[in-house]
Amino acid sequence: MKRSLPLRLSKNGPGASMMQASVILIVLIILAYILSSGVFIQPTNLLNILRQNTMLLIVVLAEFLVILTGGIDLSLGAVVAFSSVIVVLFQGYGLGLALVMALAGGLLIGLLNGMLITYLRLPAFVITLAMQQIVYSVAKVMTNGAKIEHSLNGAMLNMRLTQLYKQDLFGVSVPIWFCVGMVLLVSVYMHTKYGYYIYAIGGNDKAARMSGLPVKTVRIMAYVLSGLFSALAGFLFVSRVGTGDPDTGTLLSMDAIAACTIGGTSLAGGKGNVSGTVIGLLVLCVLNNVMSLVHVSPNIQPLVKGLVILIAVYMNNMKSKGDN
Amino acid sequence: MSQPIFGNQLSSFVKRNGSLVVLIFLFLLFSLTIANFTDSRNLTAIMFQSVVTGFLALGQFLVIVTGGIDLSQGAMVAMTSIVVSVSMMRYGAWAAIVCGLLAATLLGFCTGLLVAKTTMPPFIVTLGMMGIARGIAMMLANAKPVPITNDTFKLLGSERIGWVPVSAILLVISALIIHYILRFRRIGRYIYAVGSSESSARLSGVNVARIKLLVYMLSSFFCAIGGMIWTARLVSGSPVGGYNYETESIAAVVVGGASLSGGEGNVLGTMAGVLIFQCINSMLNLTGINPFWQGAFKGLLIIITVAISGLRGRGKLLGSRKGAKSV
Repeated sequence: MKRSLPLRLSKNGPGASMMQASVILIVLIILAYILSSGVFIQPTNLLNILRQNTMLLIVVLAEFLVILTGGIDLSLGAVVAFSSVIVVLFQGYGLGLALVMALAGGLLIGLLNGMLITYLRLPAFVITLAMQQIVYSVAKVMTNGAKIEHSLNGAMLNMRLTQLYKQDLFGVSVPIWFCVGMVLLVSVYMHTKYGYYIYAIGGNDKAARMSGLPVKTVRIMAYVLSGLFSALAGFLFVSRVGTGDPDTGTLLSMDAIAACTIGGTSLAGGKGNVSGTVIGLLVLCVLNNVMSLVHVSPNIQPLVKGLVILIAVYMNNMKSKGDN
Repeated sequence: MSQPIFGNQLSSFVKRNGSLVVLIFLFLLFSLTIANFTDSRNLTAIMFQSVVTGFLALGQFLVIVTGGIDLSQGAMVAMTSIVVSVSMMRYGAWAAIVCGLLAATLLGFCTGLLVAKTTMPPFIVTLGMMGIARGIAMMLANAKPVPITNDTFKLLGSERIGWVPVSAILLVISALIIHYILRFRRIGRYIYAVGSSESSARLSGVNVARIKLLVYMLSSFFCAIGGMIWTARLVSGSPVGGYNYETESIAAVVVGGASLSGGEGNVLGTMAGVLIFQCINSMLNLTGINPFWQGAFKGLLIIITVAISGLRGRGKLLGSRKGAKSV
């Protein structure tokens, strides 16, 4: 099993689509360099791009794992909002507890998603859409619809939490460590047995089941990881913004799906890789960054973003059409 | 279609129109237990609230029957509302209505073209279109709301005959037309054919690309109508409104018994789906339950309906589109 799968990966994995995304990224970077007259390429700006998009990166990796199984997770943004509320509510009792509670919440939601999708065989799109509604609703009930800054025991926001995002560790800012750590974690996961199984399931569910792979476990794991990652993103959200916001992240899943698709991950599952996905994310991030650097009116920004998504995915699909 | 026939017409009707049964059950339950639920005022309110989602769901239903999805609906509503309100200041109400319909349908044409002529998934195409439509709305309006001063146009959102809103009558007529087309016209059967198996449809000589183009144009067209009613009710065009309206229409279509893999469902069920959600909203309002629970009710209802229909037609809803398409 393990022998044959990497062969398949080398054909579908780091192949065509990633090239397309890289080309777009390079073109964008060159454009950014020219338009911003060099400001873009300065290390502070580059690090800023990463720092500002740590949350998005984590969420994109979560979405990547789910999409690779042939599913989709629309509840990511809701989990981020929910866990941001949980973190603020519990940080008065200690940061560790707050993080654990948030992760437990994310795990539970992911587990529910996964169980409903695998055991009842319900469509992922519908279940995670419903879960999104439920989770947002619960988060809003908990805070009565408002943003919150106080813990359950009335304590103000823990300084250590808000400092976390600004701190440096070994000369590199903490959120960047998170970025690197998560990318490494997912890359390693993709090279374990379970990672290979994800490709097998996404590529052909029936064949994977027939060959005796633990299809259900692997699929549930993807949703659980997605919930956990989103919960972590919620924790970082509080650290960065300083509030628990039950309304945040409504378009986060959409951005995440867009990044995955730009990076060559197929929505049908079984096709894509971590580096491509990261490049897809960078396309969106660089685009946002350069638009604000050269003061593109925020009114035009959604239009430009929409066009870039369409062009990028169009290029991906042109290539894969030629392949087949 | 694949369900076993029990010989009992009633049971097969119930199976085909589960959402209608749920709607009737909820309606009876609420009218018996909640004091003012069947008040003509409340019924009018429910209808007013259903109309916009109703139009969106009608368009979304057509797209979903072909196996696609339209995420650009909310942005399309915002764009129509801005196109209408901006053009109304110069050219008057009728010209503005024509402009709104044309603008949305044109954008729908682009969506349809991309879906039909390329291999890009509809999810991504309409996601991109969502940004484009939103951007056009923001640009035209400079991110500010545009007031509506034309009194004739305002009537679109408030006029009633007895206690029935005119906009609701418009919705019923549109739904009946779509129902008739889907049931009795060749093109309607083609729409189902594309959804249940695209390759079979193509092999039997259906022009699949044209059908796809048509449904995305119709979806945007209905967004335009819904968007105008929405604008008339708000008395201003809003470039930032309409977020996540597509979620509501998708939810209504799914609860209405359509399958996201395409080829299933009917208009009646979709309309019942829209009304179910509005009845629940109205119930929450009247009983004074924390309105923030709304989403939880919605989500649970979606999961329950899908679970019931999924357990019923096991093979069809396996989740993987490959299984569903190979009829």
